[in-house]
Amino acid sequence: MKVLSLMLVACFLPLVTLFGQSPDIDFVEYELDNGLHVILHQDNSTPIVAVSIMYHVGSKNEDPQRTGFAHFFEHLLFEGSENIDRGQFDKLVTSAGGAMNANTWYDRTYYYEVLPSNQLALGLYLESERLLHAKIDSIGIETQREVVKEERRLRVDNTPYGSVLEETMKRSYQVHPYRWPVIGSMDHLNAAKDQEFMEFYKTFYVPENAVLSLAGDLDIEEAKALVEKYFAEIPRGGHEIPKPTVVEPPQTAEIRDVVYDNIQLPAVIQSYHVPAQGTEDFYAVSMLAQLLSQGESSRLSKSVKDEQQKALFVGAFPLDLEDPGVTIAFGIANTGVSPEELEAAMDAEYEKVKSELISEEEFQKLRNQIENDFISANSRVAGIAESLANYHMYYGDANLINTEIERYLDVTREDIQRVANKYFTRENRVVLYYLPKSAQQQPETTDIENER
Amino acid sequence: MKILTIQLLIGLVLFSCATTKTTSRVDDADQKDVAEEVLTPADQSTGQPTTGSLDRSHPPEPGPAPVIQLGTAEAFTMDNGLKVFVVENHKLPRVAFSLVLDLDAIYEGDNAGYISTAGQLLSRGTTTRSKSQIDQEVDFIGASLSTSASGVYGSSLTKHMDRLLELMADVTLNPSFPQEELDKIKTETISGLQANKDDPGAIASNVRGVLRYGKDHPYGELITEETVSRIDIEACKAFYETYFKPNIGYLAIVGDIDKDQAYQLVDKYFGQWEKGDVPEHEYDKTTAPESTRVALVDRPQSVQSTINITYPVELKTGDPDVLKGRVMNTILGGGFSSYLMQNLRETHGYTYGAGSSLSSDRLIGSFNASADVRNEVTDSAVVEFMNELRRIREEPVDEELLQSIKNYITGSFARSLESPSTIANFAINVDRYDLPEDYYSNYLKRIQEVTVSDVMEMAQKYIKPDNAYILVVGKASEVAEGLKQFGPVQYYDIYGEPYTPTTAADLSGEIEVGQVIEKYLEALGGAESLRNIQDIKQVMTTNMQGLDLQITSIRKAPNMSFETVAAGDMEFQKQVFNGTEGVEVVQGQSKPLDDKRIQESLVESRIIPELAYGELGVELTLTGLEKVGDEESYVVEIAQPSGKKSYAYYSKESGLKLKESTTLETPQGSFTQSVEYEDYREVDGVKFPYKAIISMGPQKMEAEVVSIELNTGVTDDVFKLD
Repeated sequence: MKVLSLMLVACFLPLVTLFGQSPDIDFVEYELDNGLHVILHQDNSTPIVAVSIMYHVGSKNEDPQRTGFAHFFEHLLFEGSENIDRGQFDKLVTSAGGAMNANTWYDRTYYYEVLPSNQLALGLYLESERLLHAKIDSIGIETQREVVKEERRLRVDNTPYGSVLEETMKRSYQVHPYRWPVIGSMDHLNAAKDQEFMEFYKTFYVPENAVLSLAGDLDIEEAKALVEKYFAEIPRGGHEIPKPTVVEPPQTAEIRDVVYDNIQLPAVIQSYHVPAQGTEDFYAVSMLAQLLSQGESSRLSKSVKDEQQKALFVGAFPLDLEDPGVTIAFGIANTGVSPEELEAAMDAEYEKVKSELISEEEFQKLRNQIENDFISANSRVAGIAESLANYHMYYGDANLINTEIERYLDVTREDIQRVANKYFTRENRVVLYYLPKSAQQQPETTDIENER
Repeated sequence: MKILTIQLLIGLVLFSCATTKTTSRVDDADQKDVAEEVLTPADQSTGQPTTGSLDRSHPPEPGPAPVIQLGTAEAFTMDNGLKVFVVENHKLPRVAFSLVLDLDAIYEGDNAGYISTAGQLLSRGTTTRSKSQIDQEVDFIGASLSTSASGVYGSSLTKHMDRLLELMADVTLNPSFPQEELDKIKTETISGLQANKDDPGAIASNVRGVLRYGKDHPYGELITEETVSRIDIEACKAFYETYFKPNIGYLAIVGDIDKDQAYQLVDKYFGQWEKGDVPEHEYDKTTAPESTRVALVDRPQSVQSTINITYPVELKTGDPDVLKGRVMNTILGGGFSSYLMQNLRETHGYTYGAGSSLSSDRLIGSFNASADVRNEVTDSAVVEFMNELRRIREEPVDEELLQSIKNYITGSFARSLESPSTIANFAINVDRYDLPEDYYSNYLKRIQEVTVSDVMEMAQKYIKPDNAYILVVGKASEVAEGLKQFGPVQYYDIYGEPYTPTTAADLSGEIEVGQVIEKYLEALGGAESLRNIQDIKQVMTTNMQGLDLQITSIRKAPNMSFETVAAGDMEFQKQVFNGTEGVEVVQGQSKPLDDKRIQESLVESRIIPELAYGELGVELTLTGLEKVGDEESYVVEIAQPSGKKSYAYYSKESGLKLKESTTLETPQGSFTQSVEYEDYREVDGVKFPYKAIISMGPQKMEAEVVSIELNTGVTDDVFKLD
């Protein structure tokens, strides 16, 4: 059932959701003296407010000998602060009627609370405590080491296809830090001294490396005063934030490999190098992926899955990455279909896009889908807060929440064909076959075969 | 958003949620330290102001509570009886339509599953559109459309709503039920069910339903591969024709639309939908057991036990107790600070998460408390569950905790209002379940009014530690004994059929382990002819999801072996043992066998290991009688000197070996691997199985023998380690 539930998730989630908003999202933005960038969006329709803070630190900022630090902090920073005892962070939020969470990516780390609007001050207090003087001590570090190991077991080791991204990225990148997984190396985390965690905190958790984004039932002037009250006294870090400068050299030959996993059905994964998010070609590549995968009528779904019955699930998805990234095509083979057959069917679809310009009608479908997704994307204040922070952090332009759609609408049919020819090539890709572990365990079973 | 989407898609989720922060399955000792640390904040930090003038020692007080206003829904009923609820929300230029049929639960019987299949089939073709035309048209307007047995959902931008509603009406009114689409759905459903057989959560869910309601109740009947295989187009059509009627329908329309527009659209597309009488169904009430009983589903490969403490409750949707019961259940098992979570996870470290639910239903409600725990703490965990169930009945809840729970429920309610469909659902519920008009507008007020004694009253009424089924899906040989303290233990198979296992004690006097082995050797052809086998060459093939594999195995007495697995010219793996040492080659990488593997090879490289168990120091124990397929078989535990344990199953009737299983420890956790043997055929007077069904966790594959040759004069060169 695991395979099927994965497919269900895939079918119901829209493919492209970061399009922003079409009726204008009004917002105010400014910077505190300590460098903290603040974005405020007022929407009084529901009495709730989202308080969020995004730090421009992800796994790509890590020391190659200390991977997993950025994600580790996402855990550590729920441990409390000088004024918040261990275990109290969660209690304060839930007993105020709020919800909270956090997530980590290659490029950034994000924390948020959604609270009743009379608890805005609480949200700001909690996030300012986190930034000013989080509790980083050996008890918390020890506890979270175990938790992260548990998380890895749960999400990577024990989930069918859970290691796909990790296995793909480590072959797609030879020198760039995207080559290691966000969750990092358990050995590195074990080896790290408490002092190293403190240094990481002091380096990256400084106001000039963060965006505070609030959205919901607030009054702009009151919110400004509260932000001032809780954040102004936090000192600027005052140092350069380390960022990787290494550039991944172009891949020149196809890389192929096999991974054995605890799965029932084989999978084919292809990872194509594509330009960084926000570049012209990235928008064209996104629309190519959409042509291939969004909706039941998309090329891969219709042909490979429904008509040829070669896959239970198949699609291609560009990763949003600040440095040049990848688009990953992923297919789970139907019962009795070999990975070779599935791969050939997927490749045939790319060839069609490369050789035949897509029709006006199909192109219009893509633009209609984009419009729908763009308008629907920011229906909740928590989503608006995150999008505003994202657009500012990556592009220095929070107003892209209103205008990014134009960049998609600038893409032509010829662009889609051109990027297919330019990036979806053999020498530009990594191909992985995921095969059931029982294939590898075979000798073990033949032992038993002859024990009679 | 997109990040999470992609992560989910490829099964990798990198975010972590706050409530996992202190989770771990560290050693008990560690866990205790952590727990004490949390519980006794012996306080390094009652807090001096740290920086500047702001006093940070206490969290800020909240402002005055905001007024939570519920939007309104406008309602009208069409001539054909369809009830329509419109919630205007013009923030975004989009609109969603949700059609829900108010169906009674239906008992499906021997083709169970046909109802949900019928629901899926609606969007797989209409009298004027094929599946791919429907997909194409929906995608072209950037819309979404889905169907189920109880309704149809669609959403789009306002400017496309006319088109969307036309499509929705087409799948609702004119489905064509194509046979080939039915076949596809059945195949998908059956592969899902096959995978479920090995999933402890799915097993628990099936057996839970059988225990609570019985198999003759719509909530207790099971969908199986057999019932799905019996589904035909006629059953799906009959369901549709009988039940898809507007007079039992609710249509919620939410978004950028007004009442007049909504009326016109509904009239245009659903006005012709003809009403009809829809049968109603009633079922006998089911009740909680008179005393607590243990229901055990044996899953020998389990390393965790899935515990469910459950029983039906008399709690109808809309009953005034529902709201107070929600507060009570949230305290018991509804979140991170609940009794169950604090006890089982934070204090004892038995589990990643424990919780409970109290569900109301128009037919019959239910209570369920659950957790997955390590085998060795199964009974201890049940003890703690029972302690907490008793505690909430007997001990008044702490006022501060109660208030915090009320705030939590209030906050969730407020957040849910961000979605305009919530208001539509409220309006539909009021109509559908005959709720008081102010049910939702006064919901938060009534939550705030819940008292400590209300909580206790609810607990005494609905929490029944002495009338519960304690359902455990787990490894019976390790957990059964400890569960006896809670009540009589009844075994169930994965379909909820009770059975009585035969234990070793029951077998004493009937047969001894040595006799089982002798009988086996006799069945193969007798010890004499077996000892005459000097060497054996066996070739098998298997198809692993499209990949044709060839397995070659050569053995020579007394204990030399050579095995390879290859696909065509590509050799995946090879293992050679020359009688004293060995080597394993995996994809070109060669590695000598370690001492433990050598020790095991001394046993496993024998042509017939059973002949030599005595001299090799292998210990055998008869552990009981179990069924392999339909055949009763003796279960023998085989303990090698290396410590490796496996189980062999010998048919009671024929004496032949039907199955072997081993639990393997791998970096990814432990897996149970088993091999079932079928189709024994004679080769030079000795019987060999020609078919083997190999299971590894949830994966299954069949291997078939191509050839077996005996005594061909295999030379020692074959077993050279180069």
